[in-house]
Amino acid sequence: MATQSVLAFVGPSVNWWALLPQMILLGAALLIMLVSALAPKQTSTPFVTVTTMCAAITSYIVATGLWNDVQRDGPSSSIASAFGIDGFSIFFTMLILVALAATALLSHGYLDKEGIDAPEFHALLLCSAAGAIVMASANDLVVMFIGLEALSIGLYVMIAMHDRRQEARESAIKYFVLGAFSSAFLLYGIALTYGATGSTNLIHIRDYLGAVVFRDQHLLMAAMALLLVGLSFKVAAAPFHFWAPDVYQGAPSPVTGWMASVAKAAGFAALLRIFFAAFASHRIDWTPIVSVLAAVTLVVGAVMAILQNDVKRMLAFSSVSHAGYVLIAVQAATDQGTAAALFYLFTYTFMVLGTFAVVGAMGRDDDHPLANYAGLGRSRPVLAIGFTILLLAQAGIPTTSGFVAKFQVIAAAVNNKNYVLAGLAMITAVVGAFMYLRIVMAMYVDNEEQKSSVPSWHWSTKVVVIAMVGFTLLAGLVPQFLIEFAEDAVPILIRG
Amino acid sequence: MVAQNIFFGILAAIVAISALRMVTTRNIVHAALYLVAVLAGLGALYVLLTAEFVATTQVLVYIGAVMVLFLFGIMLTKAPLGNVMEMTGRQWPLAAVVAALLGGVTIYSLVDRFGSERLNTDGPIYRTADVSDEVFSTYIVPFEAVSVLLLAALIGAIVLARKD
Amino acid sequence: MVELVWLIPMLPLLGFLILLITGHLLGEPRAGWVATAFAGASFIATLIVLVGLLGKDSHAGGRSYEFVLFEWLPAGSLKVEAGFLLDPLSITMALFVTGVGALIHLYSIGYMHGDEKYSKFFLYLNLFLFSMLMLVFGNNLVVTFLGWEGVGACSYFLISFWHRRESAATAGKKAFVTNRVGDWGFMIATFAIWSALGTVTYTEIANSPAMSAATGTAVSLLLFVAAAGKSAQLPLYVWLPDAMEGPTPVSAMVHAATMVTSGVYLLVRMNNVLTDDALLVIAVIGATTALFAALCAVAQHDIKRVLAYSTVSQLGYMFLAIGSGAYVAAIFHVITHAFFKALLFLGSGSVIHGMHDEQDMRKMGALRIAMPITGATFIIGWLAIAGVPPFAGFWSKDEILLAAWEQKNIGPLLWVVGLVTALLTAYYMSRQVILVFFGDQRWDDDVHPHESSWTMTTPLCVLAVAAAAGGAINLPLVKDWLVLEHFLEPIFHHPHHFSSGTATKIALAVISVAAGLIGISIAVLSWMKRRIPTDRLEPEFLENAMYVDSSYARVVGGPGTTGFQKTADFDRRIVDGGVNGLARAVMKLGQLIQPTQSGYMRNYAVGVALGALAILVVLAWGLL
Repeated sequence: MATQSVLAFVGPSVNWWALLPQMILLGAALLIMLVSALAPKQTSTPFVTVTTMCAAITSYIVATGLWNDVQRDGPSSSIASAFGIDGFSIFFTMLILVALAATALLSHGYLDKEGIDAPEFHALLLCSAAGAIVMASANDLVVMFIGLEALSIGLYVMIAMHDRRQEARESAIKYFVLGAFSSAFLLYGIALTYGATGSTNLIHIRDYLGAVVFRDQHLLMAAMALLLVGLSFKVAAAPFHFWAPDVYQGAPSPVTGWMASVAKAAGFAALLRIFFAAFASHRIDWTPIVSVLAAVTLVVGAVMAILQNDVKRMLAFSSVSHAGYVLIAVQAATDQGTAAALFYLFTYTFMVLGTFAVVGAMGRDDDHPLANYAGLGRSRPVLAIGFTILLLAQAGIPTTSGFVAKFQVIAAAVNNKNYVLAGLAMITAVVGAFMYLRIVMAMYVDNEEQKSSVPSWHWSTKVVVIAMVGFTLLAGLVPQFLIEFAEDAVPILIRG
Repeated sequence: MVAQNIFFGILAAIVAISALRMVTTRNIVHAALYLVAVLAGLGALYVLLTAEFVATTQVLVYIGAVMVLFLFGIMLTKAPLGNVMEMTGRQWPLAAVVAALLGGVTIYSLVDRFGSERLNTDGPIYRTADVSDEVFSTYIVPFEAVSVLLLAALIGAIVLARKD
Repeated sequence: MVELVWLIPMLPLLGFLILLITGHLLGEPRAGWVATAFAGASFIATLIVLVGLLGKDSHAGGRSYEFVLFEWLPAGSLKVEAGFLLDPLSITMALFVTGVGALIHLYSIGYMHGDEKYSKFFLYLNLFLFSMLMLVFGNNLVVTFLGWEGVGACSYFLISFWHRRESAATAGKKAFVTNRVGDWGFMIATFAIWSALGTVTYTEIANSPAMSAATGTAVSLLLFVAAAGKSAQLPLYVWLPDAMEGPTPVSAMVHAATMVTSGVYLLVRMNNVLTDDALLVIAVIGATTALFAALCAVAQHDIKRVLAYSTVSQLGYMFLAIGSGAYVAAIFHVITHAFFKALLFLGSGSVIHGMHDEQDMRKMGALRIAMPITGATFIIGWLAIAGVPPFAGFWSKDEILLAAWEQKNIGPLLWVVGLVTALLTAYYMSRQVILVFFGDQRWDDDVHPHESSWTMTTPLCVLAVAAAAGGAINLPLVKDWLVLEHFLEPIFHHPHHFSSGTATKIALAVISVAAGLIGISIAVLSWMKRRIPTDRLEPEFLENAMYVDSSYARVVGGPGTTGFQKTADFDRRIVDGGVNGLARAVMKLGQLIQPTQSGYMRNYAVGVALGALAILVVLAWGLL
């Protein structure tokens, strides 16, 4: 019997084309490590940055080709249905690649300034990006978990790499231990899901749940609860957000930007895939608890942000409240809601990367009291305007993408007749706006003593800030293209 | 069947006694070695249950990797190697209660779910080869994706460990 | 020519962009002239479009044009377009916004002379003008909201323009917080209208069937919350008096003539969704605000704060008109108020300028000799606001009082409140004119008040003409002379018609004029008299005045003063306190959950575990 099965064994067909984006990133990571090992003298920061940028751009071009294929031929899944080749996964692939390119550029100036080894940093960044893409495209819970861990391990080390700073180490340890703690919940949830449905494959799970009526769904509910906890931790939703302020504050700013954009986006990709797509038939069970999570997250994020005096901590709580808005879209559990979540995450990526680009350029990465930003409007007027636009976008002021994003999310909630949540979202938007205004006000208040302490800015920072601001305004004024992009990305979990 | 029951009894006794000694011994190295005994005993029990792959993994991962890591940790930190009177923390009663609760819940749910059901020894037996078929077909993607994870972990470990 | 409507907001935007890029190169005074040129061009464009619109047939909705630029926000079934709506209401608003706006730009060239952020000031002014025009021309609620937020943002920037003054920064913050409450009402109203009617476009809302009574009232009240925030009605008016920390041209343009009337515009625009219950609430709050603010104005010494409270009070009139269903009267008063209040503010700015930044009226006096043009134009503004015929204010105020009289439920009561307010208005404005321009010189000898430059006095003269003759656009004497009413009529769902007979109308008008004159007389007799006690030329008259003065002093000086003081205190303690209290409540909530953020990993882990336990229990036992 055993010999027979060995002889009869046929491996699954592999759609290499669909795997190319991740493969390019991994190839670039290996190339960087190889070159730095063989020719350490030649591995300068520019070389590494260029390699990473090239990988990101090539990968993006491939993803564009894949997108066109999917839009023409319809979505599919590959390799024993473990990998989704659908608009959803390619949407997130593109988002992650944009963030990768921006983070690579940002770290270009930062690494030299802070004396961090560029090759290792970039290799980890690429691995982390590949992990995030795997996580966002996984149609299988085990694959998703491994993607999550690859994303996280890269992050843990990138945070800790700043070895002269005690805070960086401390926040890395915190993130690592709490991350492992939450991963255990996620893993337990996966195990219970397997127990309840007999599969870790999301397509099987969806079909099984759609066909079977449970007499006793305690096991399934427990599985959902644990999965929700594990992923809520990753997206920093309250009450699983405690790590966020400490870790955001301690981490190097480019890494904070990466964490805030990609870890959150990948976490929500997984959340949507599991809950919106696979557990679609049980949405009555999970939407209420997600609404409660959304409400708690919104309130905690907005209220706590007001009390902070450190800009990075403020932005950490603002990222918590952004998670709340996306959760509103998730709890709608409709195509419209999911498209709103995608739109939100895409625009948020641009806003948050630009924001942390500015934060990272504000001198030594030790602490960021609000007072450091005084007089920025005078000493760096163009960048101060850019920062203002990014902050106003996060506050959801019209003509910025942030307004459109919040509008879409609230519209999804209203369409779903969840008026309480929609009202709460508007109130917290009002409260939260105050925090962003505080930073803006601080920049435009003149303070003679502070002027000299603003260092000169690396060109790469300026490029990133200008690009991010440009997109934020573009998507605020003519959001049509991005809305269609998000809507086209929604059909997911199709058997290939 | 009788032989298996006898072996089960012997292995269970070894595991239980080792586990008890592990939390009562005053020597930290001894505690680690008792843990090895517990894990090895569990591995043997898996063989009895015809789960040869799980048994092998148990030995490789827990005894081979985790325990070695523990012993290295003990060696590299300044933990006292001899007998220590205050090895047990003040909060041990709390730990005992949690352990008892966890054990109780596990036993209750197992008995409640399976009761007197017996393992079907006549059906097909899953061998390591069958597992490998699964790994290289259904679970090929996770298997390959783990390499990314390991690569990241490897680079990370080197970056954090080296001093230059 | 109506197709040119896009030019009207785009010209100030272009000016803004030019100043943004080249502002620091242009410097003073070129930056000011560039901004003024674009504002003026926008006014000319408005005139051209107006001529085009008048050429169209006014029947069968012929004067309503929508220009859709592109689809802005498709959200499920809702399609929000970025587009303009050109109709009589929007062009009327645009006309005085650009007209008064251009004049104030011109005035600022002289007023801001020597300011180190000269070009930035004009940058904000142009941006403000653009936002205001977007608000007016938007063809749906969301585009209007865009303009709404835009004018708000410009307003905070301009209030705290001199942000080195602590008070200016605080005032900007206060305006922001209060306005956000109103914005919140706007947002919820927008979503409520969308979920009830399935559209947010004005033309479609106007043609939609009526909402259920409860929804309609809720939506109307939410819109009123929005309007109350922007247009400074009780209890959200607190930011407006503090907003006087901004430069005076800003007070004239943003906080008197244009932005603060956008709440009135919003309600008039949405007139067909307003229900009778909501209208009653609006009328009551409008009348209360009018009276309350007028009482406050009486006790002020700062020349600008008097005008600020006066603005709040006049805005109250406008809401009283809306609440009484007289939308045309509201818009009429918006226009005349824009003329005379801009005039008064610019005049006070000229005074402040001439007096070297002195704002205390007790240190002025007899300035009509030193500043003849400012004095003469200010007096015209005073006569207009006091309701003396035939100046502009009389006609619009008279129409509002008539509408209040005819209000179905509590008409006469509203009318009495309006009348008392008119009397107080006449009184405090006369007091201001006397303190500033008449009586003795009370300034120090080292101050040399002087007339301002021509760039400042020209706008004053133009506005004085408008304030004097502005009533001509809607004279009730002959039916055909009601130009504004006929022009605006097509946009109203239920056109308002006055039912009173001619005799009643004339009687009411006479009473209101009498009230105005009484107010002026009290002021003249008390304030003039007090300042010239030794004048023996008219002893008889003087004696009489003494009598009035003492009785007046008994009322006003005794319980009266206490009453005014109490009102001012109420303003500062309770209403301000309310706003601060709200902020403090949020802070308290934050401090309550702050300890969870201890920094200890084990505490965070416990938090995660407890959260997990809660979700597990809720989900597994199906509690939700």
